Amino acid sequence: MPENMSISVNGQSQVPPGFRFHPTEEELLHYYLRKKVSYEKIDLDVIRDVDLNKLEPWDIQEKCKIGTTPQNDWYFFSHKDKKYPTGTRTNRATAAGFWKATGRDKVIYSNSRRIGMRKTLVFYKGRAPHGQKSDWIMHEYRLDDNTTETTNVSNVMGEANQEEGWVVCRIFKKKNHHKTLDSPISSSISGEARSRMFNSCNEGALEEILQQVGRTCKEESEVHNNLRLFRSINSGIQNVYNDSFMKLPSLESPNSTSSQNCYQPIINIENESSVDNQASTGTFNSVYQMDSSLTNWAVLDKLVASQLNGHTETSRQLACFNEPTMGYCNPSDGQQDFQLPTLRSSSLSSNRSYHGSEDYNSEIELWNFTRSSSTLSSNDPLCHVSNRIV
Amino acid sequence: MCDDSVNLPPGFRFLPTDEELILHFLYRKASLLPCHPNIIPVLDPYFHDPWQLNGKALCSGNQWYFFSQMMENRVSENGYWKDLDFEQPIFTSASKQIGVKKHFLFFIGKAPSGVETSWVLQEYHLCDFGFNSSSYKRKRNPKLDCYKWVLCRVYERENNSESLCYGDDDDTGTELSYLDEMFLSLEDDLADISLPD
Repeated sequence: MPENMSISVNGQSQVPPGFRFHPTEEELLHYYLRKKVSYEKIDLDVIRDVDLNKLEPWDIQEKCKIGTTPQNDWYFFSHKDKKYPTGTRTNRATAAGFWKATGRDKVIYSNSRRIGMRKTLVFYKGRAPHGQKSDWIMHEYRLDDNTTETTNVSNVMGEANQEEGWVVCRIFKKKNHHKTLDSPISSSISGEARSRMFNSCNEGALEEILQQVGRTCKEESEVHNNLRLFRSINSGIQNVYNDSFMKLPSLESPNSTSSQNCYQPIINIENESSVDNQASTGTFNSVYQMDSSLTNWAVLDKLVASQLNGHTETSRQLACFNEPTMGYCNPSDGQQDFQLPTLRSSSLSSNRSYHGSEDYNSEIELWNFTRSSSTLSSNDPLCHVSNRIV
Repeated sequence: MCDDSVNLPPGFRFLPTDEELILHFLYRKASLLPCHPNIIPVLDPYFHDPWQLNGKALCSGNQWYFFSQMMENRVSENGYWKDLDFEQPIFTSASKQIGVKKHFLFFIGKAPSGVETSWVLQEYHLCDFGFNSSSYKRKRNPKLDCYKWVLCRVYERENNSESLCYGDDDDTGTELSYLDEMFLSLEDDLADISLPD
């Protein structure tokens, strides 16, 4: 490999702008770890050796920096499960805590050939058994024993007993999906992180727009798909929903379609955030904690704007049913009393039926807040989201 | 391809932030400053269908990058890019606006009756540095042609995928699997019992 790379790990490291170390598991095992165990020179010292017993995760973060670009994961070589003859010391314990394995090891394949294993560990602060679980996660990759033997590294087999313990590790902070906007993390994020947050926040909004583009041609099936998805997402809400659906069609069919449309964007919010959780592996962990909620903000705003546009139409339709629905307001039935007035007031307030579920309290708060702010900017639903972040 | 100066070891990928795209690439290109590394080629996107970008634009994962001159008609051989009317400002870490990102969707056929595809174009534009961000459109300096340049990123949305996919492998291990999450939450409940001394 040519020597024209402008990168080094120690001190004045320079990765060309725009580049990040984001290796696949295959690259970690097949390229880096295999070279390590067979004493081959690795062109650049991008993965350093770390003694897990001496460094806390937050120190590793500092030591394993690559370049000056922000990172959300860090890589190093370490020794697998050092054995202590006296046996008094817990494996992978540091001064502040210890790494504890969790789950089952995962087999890593390359071209459907097994090349290694991945172990997941969690960092606990304190001492077992009273450690306090942290958000720090480690993936420890080891080569399969037979993989090492079948390759041409047999020249070092004599020393294998001593050196076979090399593993390559990646540490990162677990994403926490349930943080709110008030989370302390918001005060500590850097400007760089904030601009990234913008990106991902708006990717969500973009997707929403793109979905709207697609929706025009397949409106019908979309609504039904979303309804199905929604039902499977939250069975707690489902009951409330079904109740309202059971009753609304009995009023008249035009009414029921309009209320389906009202519900649809809410369903999209669910959709958005759940997929978000899986999809944004590339964003920074520290930032991510705000992402899903911010994405929801954007989506909510869009939703509100679209609802405001269709609002008059819906209300007009609903108004037609004011008289007939009175007949349904049986005083002995509290639930109907609860729902029907909201139907009369506006399509927006149909969300009040959410109050029955604790899970949705936060959604409701978001909703209410957004609703009040959206009156200021119904034309450009996204602009005040940006303002708020800045 | 003009990938002549970057030869990084395995595992390095071009995953630029919006800020990097503007400051390190578009701004330097427009100001006729040398780009290090000079990896993003200049090409006219609107004569290329998005699936023809391979080998012409800089490819990273499932994304293609290239510079272009700003044009009114974004029409290619087999289709056109439709403006989604969705712009987002791009800020520096110091919260100063330096650019704007516009979004387009590729349609096959002739406007307005084309067939929607899943190809997305993000067009990065510069805005005046050091000026009030809200007035960037009016404060363009006519002497400089730097506002003619745009930087484009093209990618294909994955079905049912809600965000940009970084890199080429979904499971690079930077996130916990659901199984891991489940074990972790189980261990919360069992922490006192299961932890070894």
